Amino acid sequence: MHTEEKEFSPQQSLDLIRSMISHTRGAVVNNSFYFLLWGWLVFGCSVGQYLLKTYTAYPFHYMVWWLMPVGGLISAVYGSRQSKKTRVRSFVGDAISYLWIAIALAFIVLLLVNIMREKGWQVAFTYYILMYAIGTFVTGKLIEFKPLVIGGLINFVLAVVSVKFAYDEQLLIGAVAILVSYIIPGYLLRSKARRQNQTHG
Amino acid sequence: MFTELDPILHSQLRLAVMSLLISVKEAEFTFIKEKTNATAGNLSVQVQKLREAGYIEVTKQFKDNYPQTTCKVTPKGVEAFENYVRALQQYLQVGGNGK
Repeated sequence: MHTEEKEFSPQQSLDLIRSMISHTRGAVVNNSFYFLLWGWLVFGCSVGQYLLKTYTAYPFHYMVWWLMPVGGLISAVYGSRQSKKTRVRSFVGDAISYLWIAIALAFIVLLLVNIMREKGWQVAFTYYILMYAIGTFVTGKLIEFKPLVIGGLINFVLAVVSVKFAYDEQLLIGAVAILVSYIIPGYLLRSKARRQNQTHG
Repeated sequence: MFTELDPILHSQLRLAVMSLLISVKEAEFTFIKEKTNATAGNLSVQVQKLREAGYIEVTKQFKDNYPQTTCKVTPKGVEAFENYVRALQQYLQVGGNGK
């Protein structure tokens, strides 16, 4: 940027505005870390509980879900480190953060409902999948990233399908749901962000 | 007939700063410096002028023991920017019709 007093035409003004706005618009919101962390955690817990419940006599198969608070802790530490590095806050970034905070709270509410209501856990996955659907669909639309949108839409369908199945099968449907809405889009988002970082140096 | 171009905004560096801030919630001084390729001294002066005009809000705080300056566009700044772009469009339309 040269001295401030230099004369410049309306066209140059417009070009400057366009070029500056493209600096902020182009940045991919790279929250793939969370999608991959939670994706693999939930996938592992769902499949793990299914295997323990179906193929072993281990009575405390549900203990695998104690990995969820660990995920919460890792997310919190990672999130606070990232916020120290962040030099620009966008409206979209904030909207996504608030959306996921609301979804995290909704998961805690669902957990309490499942504990308080007898056999509530039997339909738990229907609502969990619905939460994944809302989170990934809205995030995908906000950052204009199709794999997340598609994953979200598939999860809306899976939420309905899951009602027809017993809890054991719901575990597997949950694993598929998280695979298509978190894990696959998570890897695609990560590689897109890496490509963009390489381009922009 | 022409709306006069706002002299506060009709300056390369100040316009660059406003264009960056218009599409984000807030940005750090270092981010603006990097994107505009300006020197810290010149940028400080221009940021100060925008702040005095009431177009941006500047917050200074300490983050992990380092001073941090954050800039954010104000509603007055958004209005000024919109008026500036509208005035630019007038100039460009007339230029285009005259061809």
